Amino acid sequence: MSRKRFEVPSKRNQSFSLNITSMTDMFTILLVFLLQTYSTSEVTLDAVKDVRLPQSISDKNPIDGAKLSISATELKFGQKFLASLRSNSFDTAFIDPHDSNFIKPLFEELQNFNKSNEKLAKTGKVLLQADEALPYSVIRKVMYTASMAGFPNLKLITTVGQ
Amino acid sequence: MKKRFKLNINHNSEFDLDLAPLLAVMVKLVPVLLVSSAFVQMMIIETDLPQVVQEAIKKQDENPKSAQIAVEVSKSVGVKIIISENGSQKIEVVGFDKDKKIDYPTLQAKLVEVKKLHPEVFKIDLNPDAEIAYKDLVKIMDEARKVRAVGVRFPVKDSKTGKDTTTDYMFPEVVFSNMLDG
Repeated sequence: MSRKRFEVPSKRNQSFSLNITSMTDMFTILLVFLLQTYSTSEVTLDAVKDVRLPQSISDKNPIDGAKLSISATELKFGQKFLASLRSNSFDTAFIDPHDSNFIKPLFEELQNFNKSNEKLAKTGKVLLQADEALPYSVIRKVMYTASMAGFPNLKLITTVGQ
Repeated sequence: MKKRFKLNINHNSEFDLDLAPLLAVMVKLVPVLLVSSAFVQMMIIETDLPQVVQEAIKKQDENPKSAQIAVEVSKSVGVKIIISENGSQKIEVVGFDKDKKIDYPTLQAKLVEVKKLHPEVFKIDLNPDAEIAYKDLVKIMDEARKVRAVGVRFPVKDSKTGKDTTTDYMFPEVVFSNMLDG
């Protein structure tokens, strides 16, 4: 008796339906999460590396202005490095020898911003992203220099909290 | 004889819902929302106030005789609220709690008391010591800005309509008065 040869069943002309129910579930959850985090603010601020913002009950959305950030190690204007900090104080090379509160590179950068971005500069607004652990002495130097450069309106950037 | 038409309803019938169009919409929506999502929600502290309060602040600036409130912050004492009016000075001190942090609930209570006595004042001068942490300053500004307790409101006069109204703002205008000190 001859053995019957095994035959692979032909799949030609066969259709199948993909079960997308679970994928739809996943997308629905994702959509709800993204809708919750959807930002309606006109100005979007990028989080700065090594800057832990303080929490505040303020519910005001950010506005446009000169963007400054201070971490424990450096002061930046946007992405541009301006001055370095060590042990919660600015390196002496960046400070005016005649005025201990005056940060020279910051003043120069804000002066340039005044020329290049006249409309925004007229508002005199500075958006400051500063690390929560920094002492007031550091913040004061930035505020002082900014007001000298014609930016007396300081807006403190915070995160939402209690 | 005519046979009566009988509607054949199968109560156990099943059907597949076509989810493909729904999924197509979601696939398009997700990237749009991903781009415009703010995962770290940032806010700003600024004095953007109701018109009535703004007018009251203007009125206070015009009146040099109104009380001056200064808040001094130091690591040794805590928060000192100095109220100067008609040549006399009153000082309130808020110390630290068990964790050696500023006693914020007491600070808020003291500021509410001060506001009740001086409802026309909306501005405070903040004089922190050099070593005070930035997060503490933000917290003090939060406590001074608005009253937290529900139902507590302060009288303010609408100069346009002449009507008396109320607000929950206490001292929304904070001035770093020692900023120019060396």
